Amino acid sequence: MIKEQILRFGRRLSCPQEWKSRSYWRETGTAYLYILPAFAILSVFVFYPFFSAFRLSTYKWTPLTSTFNGWRNYQYIFQDKYFWRALWRTFYYVGINVPITLFLALLVASLLNKKLRFLAFARTSYFLAYITPVVAVTMVWQWLYNWQYGLLNYFLGWFGVSLTNWLGDKRFALPAVIIMSIWRFVGYEAIILLAGLQGIDKMYYEAARIDGASGLQVWRKVTIPLLTPQIFFVFVISLIGSFKVFTEIFVLFNGSPGPLKSAETLVYYIMRQGFFGTQHLGRAAAASVVLFGIIFVFTLFQLQITQKRVHYQ
Amino acid sequence: MRSTRFCVLGLMVVFLFGLVAVAEGPVTITFWHAMSSRHQPNLQKLVDDFMAEYPNVTVELSYQGGYGDLQQKINAAVVAGNPPTIAQVYENWVTPIVDILYPVGLHMTEEEKGDIIDGLVRSNTYNGVLTTVPFNKSIMVLYYRKDLVPIPPTDWQEYLDMSKELTVDSDGDGTIDQFGTGFRPAANPELFLNFLEETGGSILSEDWSKVTINNSKGLQAMEYAASLAPYSLITSEYMSNAFQANQVCMFIDTSAGYYYNNQAAEAAGCEMGVARVPMGPVNQKSMIQGTNLAVFDKNQTQAQKDAGVLLARFLLRAENTVYWAEKGGYQPVTKSAYESEEWENWVATHEYQQAMSAQMLDGFSQILHPNYGDMRYVIATAFEEVMLAEATPLEGLASAALEIEDLLE
Repeated sequence: MIKEQILRFGRRLSCPQEWKSRSYWRETGTAYLYILPAFAILSVFVFYPFFSAFRLSTYKWTPLTSTFNGWRNYQYIFQDKYFWRALWRTFYYVGINVPITLFLALLVASLLNKKLRFLAFARTSYFLAYITPVVAVTMVWQWLYNWQYGLLNYFLGWFGVSLTNWLGDKRFALPAVIIMSIWRFVGYEAIILLAGLQGIDKMYYEAARIDGASGLQVWRKVTIPLLTPQIFFVFVISLIGSFKVFTEIFVLFNGSPGPLKSAETLVYYIMRQGFFGTQHLGRAAAASVVLFGIIFVFTLFQLQITQKRVHYQ
Repeated sequence: MRSTRFCVLGLMVVFLFGLVAVAEGPVTITFWHAMSSRHQPNLQKLVDDFMAEYPNVTVELSYQGGYGDLQQKINAAVVAGNPPTIAQVYENWVTPIVDILYPVGLHMTEEEKGDIIDGLVRSNTYNGVLTTVPFNKSIMVLYYRKDLVPIPPTDWQEYLDMSKELTVDSDGDGTIDQFGTGFRPAANPELFLNFLEETGGSILSEDWSKVTINNSKGLQAMEYAASLAPYSLITSEYMSNAFQANQVCMFIDTSAGYYYNNQAAEAAGCEMGVARVPMGPVNQKSMIQGTNLAVFDKNQTQAQKDAGVLLARFLLRAENTVYWAEKGGYQPVTKSAYESEEWENWVATHEYQQAMSAQMLDGFSQILHPNYGDMRYVIATAFEEVMLAEATPLEGLASAALEIEDLLE
């Protein structure tokens, strides 16, 4: 009995059978060679800066001397009212921007999935907003939002809405960024969802129709469940992207975070600490680590929740 | 014995000739700058003139992008141990890296040093040594529309009265269509600093040990700014946009913006005038802005450092600083330049230069405190809150003073 157990343990310790094969090692070696260039590039431009940011967050940085200061950068940002305000605004932006964009993208994708006239033109039009450089798009929106001459206020005037100082009033600054972001990303997300919609087997719809399901029921009970892989993908990338919003704000408010810093999000805060004249790279790195932690936790949470609800055909 | 002496003498002669040969041998230096395309031909011309005078020196001009990019690249190069020979720098960029700079002032004659405008000597002196030298300098002036402001305001009260008078809601819809003046408080807190200087106030005490921004002088400056707020367009955009759209009648801005402001005025179909900043309760000083030139000690040969100093001194010569000012819209930085016939003729034939030129000799610059960047941010925040009526002058200054206090540690 004991001898048998020892033998079984020995077998468990011994290397797998395929390790003894030469071809296995040749194939493995070839595979590693293939990924080596990408790994080397990623190491230099992604992995090293990533770990370096962690290290930097515990240092007081100046061009000549960098001294280890433990958690003091974290202490500073956690006591800084502008950090908490930036964090709150980031959540506000994400909380409103992500669900609305996704909902509108679903609607647009469903419409584009119908047999409409000029469908190709409509699809291209929606996607154009995404492929146009963000700076160019933002500068156009700057004019749209102009409180005296902007088209938005002109159209709102038809409905009796008085002039809104979109970019000069702290109440409207962040909503202005959100509206622009929704417009920009709806088309992109819709195209991904459209691809998912077109991949759903027609037989499910036929079966639902035979069972007498209404249009809304089909959408809720067939389309949405079978579209969950794409919805999940879009949700994750949209969430991560929204947490990192910066360029739109920087351009829309001419290099400032809006009136009274009303559009200062977390990435803007990081940029301000590290690069806009103050050069507190340690604090900027600490805030970056916090942002990474938030995105990481949210992504894990989403993975947990959505894995239970994602249906693959 | 005699032969030994001859040998030593001979060796010394050879050594000295050798040194001269090194000094006169070909040397290449790099000059990092942030001068955009409008200024590059002028800078290139000056550098070409320098190389013609010193044929053994080659200057490689290297555009590094805007000022923010330049600062980041200088810092990165310093960390990498490979800075340029010479670069444009703001005062507060220098403070953290002053130990690796080659003090230009130590290699200038007393006459050359004494020729630099006094205010600029102070703002280029670190630890008692003239370390950098002024280069592209501009000064705060008042821009105004000549059709609406026939005679520009000369003091604070006139500026306030005229701003009030010129603020109108022309179509009666309850929205002001034309503001007397305008501010960019978040982007340009230097306007408040200018008011502060004119009250005789300061951010910190002389020895930087106490915060003085919230004393009676600071309060006087902020209250004055707040009194202008109802008649001011508060924006984050460059004021030239509002000027072009006929939204503001006059505003205080740096002289470096003359070209753009004048273009805006022309596009709006009106003539622009330039005047001195209105006189404050104590003085009529105006803030000088712009960069200086630093020569780096690190990773440079002695010949490169010498060549860098030569270039800095060359650019300070009256004829060169005048050329740079005439072509680029900056202000000369030496006293002899202001006394030169060339500059006097230029000012006589360019009306707008009179106000700019008149203010330079007693202008003031930013303080050299290492945390000036943070202080500026704090002041901008308070200034914006006050101008947008989110805080009273007293509240704004009290909160700014508290935050600046932390920056003194």
